[in-house]
Amino acid sequence: MEALVQRFPGARLGVNAVTALVIWGLLTWVNQVIEPLMSYYLATAAMYATAMFGMTILLGLSGQVSLGNGALMAVGGYIFALTSMNWQTVPILGTPWNAVWSMVFAGFGGVVFGAAIGGIAARLRGPYLAGLTLGIAVGVPAIANRFPELLGGENGLMLQVPYPAGGYTSGDTSDEAVDDGGEVPLDEEPVYEELPDDFGDFDEEFTDEFGDELDSDPGDLSDEDLLTEDDLLSEDDFLSDDDFLTDEDFTTEDGFEADIDSDAGADLDAGLDGGSEASEGADITDPAADLDLAGVDAGVDAGFAIEQWQASMAIAVACVVGFIALNLVRGRQGRVWQAVRDDPIAAAVSGISPAGSKISAFVVSSLFAALAGAVFAQILTYVGPGAFTLGLSLSLLVGIVLGGRNSFIGAIIGAVILVWLPEFVLDVSADRGWQDQITNNAPNFIYGLLVVLVVLAAPGGIVGGIQSLAGRLRGQAKSSSSP
Amino acid sequence: MIDFIDYLLGGISSGAIIALMALALVLVWRSTRVVNFAQLGQAMFTTYIALTVRELTGSWFLGLIIAMAAGLVVGVIVHFLVIRPVKRLDTSGAIIATFGVLIALEALAAMVWGGDPEAFPPPINNSGYEAFGRIWPFSPYDLLVLASVVFLVLALSVVFTRTNVGLAMRASAFNPEVARLSGVRVNRMLALGWAIAGLVGAVAGVLVAPLSTLSPTSFDIFLVFAFTAAVIGGLDSLVGAVAFGIGTGLVIALVSGYSDSSNAPLVALVLLVLNLLFKPEGVFSHHKARAV
Repeated sequence: MEALVQRFPGARLGVNAVTALVIWGLLTWVNQVIEPLMSYYLATAAMYATAMFGMTILLGLSGQVSLGNGALMAVGGYIFALTSMNWQTVPILGTPWNAVWSMVFAGFGGVVFGAAIGGIAARLRGPYLAGLTLGIAVGVPAIANRFPELLGGENGLMLQVPYPAGGYTSGDTSDEAVDDGGEVPLDEEPVYEELPDDFGDFDEEFTDEFGDELDSDPGDLSDEDLLTEDDLLSEDDFLSDDDFLTDEDFTTEDGFEADIDSDAGADLDAGLDGGSEASEGADITDPAADLDLAGVDAGVDAGFAIEQWQASMAIAVACVVGFIALNLVRGRQGRVWQAVRDDPIAAAVSGISPAGSKISAFVVSSLFAALAGAVFAQILTYVGPGAFTLGLSLSLLVGIVLGGRNSFIGAIIGAVILVWLPEFVLDVSADRGWQDQITNNAPNFIYGLLVVLVVLAAPGGIVGGIQSLAGRLRGQAKSSSSP
Repeated sequence: MIDFIDYLLGGISSGAIIALMALALVLVWRSTRVVNFAQLGQAMFTTYIALTVRELTGSWFLGLIIAMAAGLVVGVIVHFLVIRPVKRLDTSGAIIATFGVLIALEALAAMVWGGDPEAFPPPINNSGYEAFGRIWPFSPYDLLVLASVVFLVLALSVVFTRTNVGLAMRASAFNPEVARLSGVRVNRMLALGWAIAGLVGAVAGVLVAPLSTLSPTSFDIFLVFAFTAAVIGGLDSLVGAVAFGIGTGLVIALVSGYSDSSNAPLVALVLLVLNLLFKPEGVFSHHKARAV
């Protein structure tokens, strides 16, 4: 593989594109076959992973401890909410592509805020940066209170998920879904042609019959008890199947190495964008089809279908972000970040601007955080100060430290831990009959202890630990870790 | 104008408490070059202990004393179990570890005492004094807070400037190598720094709890205020921490008074940004905050 990359300069891009595509395809397939509750977990994990890819770059490669990423997620979430709700009738930016544009705006907002914060923060030494970003994590959500009309104040804003009407229509995306072929299940194509006719009718029925029920569900989340981070993590406590993500993670890693083909050209990375949108298109129409067929009595399916759609959207975003991150990190920019982290003076002597490098890491991680925030807003169908607390920023830090701050695999493992551990604790507590206040807070207690343990015993997290273990087994001290 | 005086009077006691918290951060920074982001988590925990003791015995003062002892013990435990084992050069590791302690302590407090805010009533009258025909926003409790803070700061300054232990602590902070060569047991002095910081933080926690409510996360915002004050003061300077702690409290009180109290975190953020932009090394110190 290395030889291949050296012979063809564009091959790295292709390899990364294939990697991202394969993972995307696998996760999309998984999302089709698993239960809808699992889709919800999958969506949440993909959202965390998106944000934590940025943490990998910021904390792992650039060596900056930042707690501001929760606040930057708030930036992305609020921008998504505002643009997707208010700009539906604007030409071009309006309805068919409303949600996609909102996503773009959210990312753009993340870049702007990230550059602004990074310009101040990225040049500061460790504790100063951590303290300043701590202030940002605590202070920025309070901005919502400054503009109660626009941002909804303490109550936040309820979001209309751009499904089934709203952001997308099946007609516009189905073309690309067909073009892209490969990853989209072919048996769903005939559905596309029939859908737009029934869509409007169905939508009215949908809101009339089930509007209350569906609205009250997120309403409960936001109004009553969403306000602490524990609740965010452990809100949906019905069932848990612990292994659903770890399994396919291992398969993706295997497929990662095995599925790389020589004809991974530049057209594949173009295919990625089309592909990711195709996934959105396919999955919007798919649950809609379910609803249409199942009719009015399938209220439960309606709730579940939304989760499946959310998961496909979250997966697509995570894969696009992962692709960008891989390209940045495996190229020149990754080496620049590492050089500045390891020795800023030597890097400066080599003609690298340390401040510029740190700011660019900040901007990239802000972009990812804002996109994750937009995804988070769609998963919760809500944005508000209670959703983007200091706890959210801290849990991102926990995830990346536990998984392994030097690698994207570590970010993915961390995301899975953040979703899985609360469910695991719920299971245990159901067996042991713990009180609620213990069950709800035990995950955070474990996170805190694990973070301290990891810092003391295995600074590379799970991935670093496995790497050093493997290195020791092979009898060679492997000091450097590659992302 | 009378509003202005009212807001200032109302801000004095919270400023004094922020000064104590900043002092705790500075004490830890001076001894181990670590910003203890768990400092107010420790304070929150000991304040819960004080609340429990007070509910059991009915004595606020006993609660304060036991909280101070607990703060001392928790500080030493965190220092020996967490900070000392972290590799000396791993600054991000030390920062992350203190956040780990913060997360664990907040969760532990929620597990033991529940996550709901609890009232921590003041031990003495907290309604303002009456004079010149109006009620001033300064109460006997504010006076108690102020007296406690002044007493503690004076006691600390006597310890640091007039005793051998204080001299040894300053020497360990200033130059550990030379101090060790001169026969100072540097590690003990570092642990002592953490212990005193824990004690100071515990006092601050017990004093501040009646001004709002007590919950596992209710001190998070004070962490931001205290960090702001400590950094503006230079992070190294006890005098700076006290001066800018009170100053930060007054500015926050003024802004909250003239606009809205929900702006307080933003005020702290703006102060912090301005300071880091224009005088990142702080007012009372000369070391570098910026790396590049």
